[in-house]
Amino acid sequence: MEEVAPVITGQAGNLAQHPADDEILSGQIDLDVVREMLTHFIYRDHQEAQELILSALQEINEHFGWVSLPAADVVAEHFGTSASRIYGLLTFYADFRTQPRGRHFMLLCHGMACYVMGSQRLVQELEDSYGIGDGGTTADGELTVQVVNGCLGACDVAPLCKLDADFHGELTVASLNAAIHNAIAAGGSWRDAHAHGPVNGSSHD
Amino acid sequence: MTERLASRSDFEAYQSQANQNWANLWGGDKLVVSVCVDSGSIPKGAERILALLQGMLGETDAVVRKVSGTGAMWADVAVEVKHPGAPPILYRNITESNLAALLAGELDDHAIGVRADSAFKGIRPLGEHPFFKYQQRVVLDNTGIIDPDSIEEAIANGAYSALLKVLFDMSPEEVIAEMTAANLRGRGGAGFPAGIKWESGRKARVTPKFVVVNSHEGEPNVYKDRRIHECDPHKILEGMIISSVTNGAERAYNYIGGEYPLAIKRFRKAVADAERLGLIGDDILGTGKSVEVRVRTGGGAYVCGEGSALMYSVMGVRGQPRTKPPRSVEEGLWKRPTILNNTETLANVGAIINNGGAWFASIGTEKSAGTKLMTVQGPLNYVGLVEVPMGINLKLLVEEVWGGMRDGHEFRGIQTGGVSAGALPYEYLDNPVDFDSLTSIGGMLGSGGFVVFDQHVCPVDFARYLMAFNRVESCSKCVPCRLGNPALVEMLDRIRLGAGSLTDLPLMERTSKHIIELSLCGLGQVAPMPLLGMLKMYPDSFREHIENHSCEAGVCQLGGVPVLAAAAD
Repeated sequence: MEEVAPVITGQAGNLAQHPADDEILSGQIDLDVVREMLTHFIYRDHQEAQELILSALQEINEHFGWVSLPAADVVAEHFGTSASRIYGLLTFYADFRTQPRGRHFMLLCHGMACYVMGSQRLVQELEDSYGIGDGGTTADGELTVQVVNGCLGACDVAPLCKLDADFHGELTVASLNAAIHNAIAAGGSWRDAHAHGPVNGSSHD
Repeated sequence: MTERLASRSDFEAYQSQANQNWANLWGGDKLVVSVCVDSGSIPKGAERILALLQGMLGETDAVVRKVSGTGAMWADVAVEVKHPGAPPILYRNITESNLAALLAGELDDHAIGVRADSAFKGIRPLGEHPFFKYQQRVVLDNTGIIDPDSIEEAIANGAYSALLKVLFDMSPEEVIAEMTAANLRGRGGAGFPAGIKWESGRKARVTPKFVVVNSHEGEPNVYKDRRIHECDPHKILEGMIISSVTNGAERAYNYIGGEYPLAIKRFRKAVADAERLGLIGDDILGTGKSVEVRVRTGGGAYVCGEGSALMYSVMGVRGQPRTKPPRSVEEGLWKRPTILNNTETLANVGAIINNGGAWFASIGTEKSAGTKLMTVQGPLNYVGLVEVPMGINLKLLVEEVWGGMRDGHEFRGIQTGGVSAGALPYEYLDNPVDFDSLTSIGGMLGSGGFVVFDQHVCPVDFARYLMAFNRVESCSKCVPCRLGNPALVEMLDRIRLGAGSLTDLPLMERTSKHIIELSLCGLGQVAPMPLLGMLKMYPDSFREHIENHSCEAGVCQLGGVPVLAAAAD
């Protein structure tokens, strides 16, 4: 079920311009930032602590693109549980990654609407031309793809993908390749998608 | 206006002010432009359109507002324009390039309809458009009309009026009597009567008790619950509070799929607003009753839609189902009595309390009361979410409501019941859609997700896709599901790639039987259903692949090398 992604070879030097981006895209997780994020997950009792573990992991995963073993240790410590339990969660739930993302991140929708409109060809194209399957990262560290089994929610323009911050609909093999090439040529990274704020923030708005 | 409401009269004062503001918005002499923004329209640029309109009209006294979608995804980005003295008109497919024409009133060919009872300047009422004509909106009555982030607009449109009745005018027994009379059956797929569930929940002696809403919706073709969150979150919240008060639960959880950021964001906003007004929390409206609401998010595991798995996930462990009994109403979350309902089920509660159980039971069919949210995907003209009375004809749905096939696409079948039932070819379309009718022909209503496919889709490959989904999403706890589904994928791969034999067909049926009879949870027990449906309805396709090594749809790479399923994908 879980596929081990190739380790990224791209280095911080030739990646994004912002220092913070450099660090995140290089596959490092700053544990101080993790500790800071965890201060928002306040629990009053044992039950609430257990209930907040998944939300905290989601926020870390969303911020860094993955959750490393040392980060999992920090989470375990915060909630008073074992690292093995945290790792058990990370490898069970499909949304979590235990390997860093590449510079660009694609959610390729392979829900049923996209399937009946031909998304299988797109999955095949990523495998043939880029050598990556679900969860994989290209050898140059430019692109990570996650094949979404659920649904991205804009089924009338199926098949579609979300590449960094942008949606691309009514995809063909040619337009998929164009979207990837344009994203790489334009610079930027999956961090651009965070312009809209955190996905699973513990705050209310 | 934003103070905590401490009594019934406080709420009624707030309500009448909200009603006044709402009436002023529509009765005034201002231009009102409403942009439909939800997760279906954002990919098509709805937020950009909204920002552009705010820029273009910022200097005027026009009101530019965000509303939820209408369910008509085919019309996105949809924008409603109301000129002073005229009724609001809904326009479809608004882009940057036709925005100026829209404001100039030169876009009549994009008008879907006018939100009024009679035509206006040659534009028909919205209710006469085929997509809306057959709909009856109980859950979705506010969608496309209110700003989902505004509790004031929700209250002006009836939100929390049922809660008021439950708190001040009705006993818990009376509430349950209305629920039972309504014959509201669970909208998640199983169809268990909610009234009976509440009855058991009310009677459970162990405390504390919990209310849990299942908003996980992990199937690859269903988006109804996500849309209720995005369009009218207070409807769900009101149902949760009513359930908690009636069943004596002190805490209510909403478990939302983590893949739906907008649904989570809008629901959290609704909770924060309701907390601010004192509609949840301690001593609600001075009644002494208290309900705490918590939002928990899933991590992308389909199996967490199963009741016991969902509760394990809330408790922060792997979501793997357990054997039953005990049922969750006896021993659920944190080993306490837990009343678990689907989102859509709870969203119906407010209307049942306001209009009575008998009213609700009069909608739909005798055994399946009420309306049902249904979603469709595929090469159809009007793709989207509809709310129709139970028992509606499937052919009418496909050909009228959803507008029939797009040009160049030929109907080949419709997959019913998400990933838990079989597909139906054209000759079976002329059947009513409710909890029981489709089952006899191998289909299922389930959670109301339909997918139409055309001549470019191969039934063998489609069956393989569905089985691969079930294989990947198996939680791996019990053997029949963990090993049986990969075995089925392996056999389908053999056939698909031209290496199958006729003995594979009975072998697939036998393996399916084992999975169905021996799996632990409800998801495993229906996992092979889509394959059995395809085998029954499209037997010739399977034989063609096996005997003649040909794929009519031209999808399958016959002559390829089959790989072991464990290593595939």
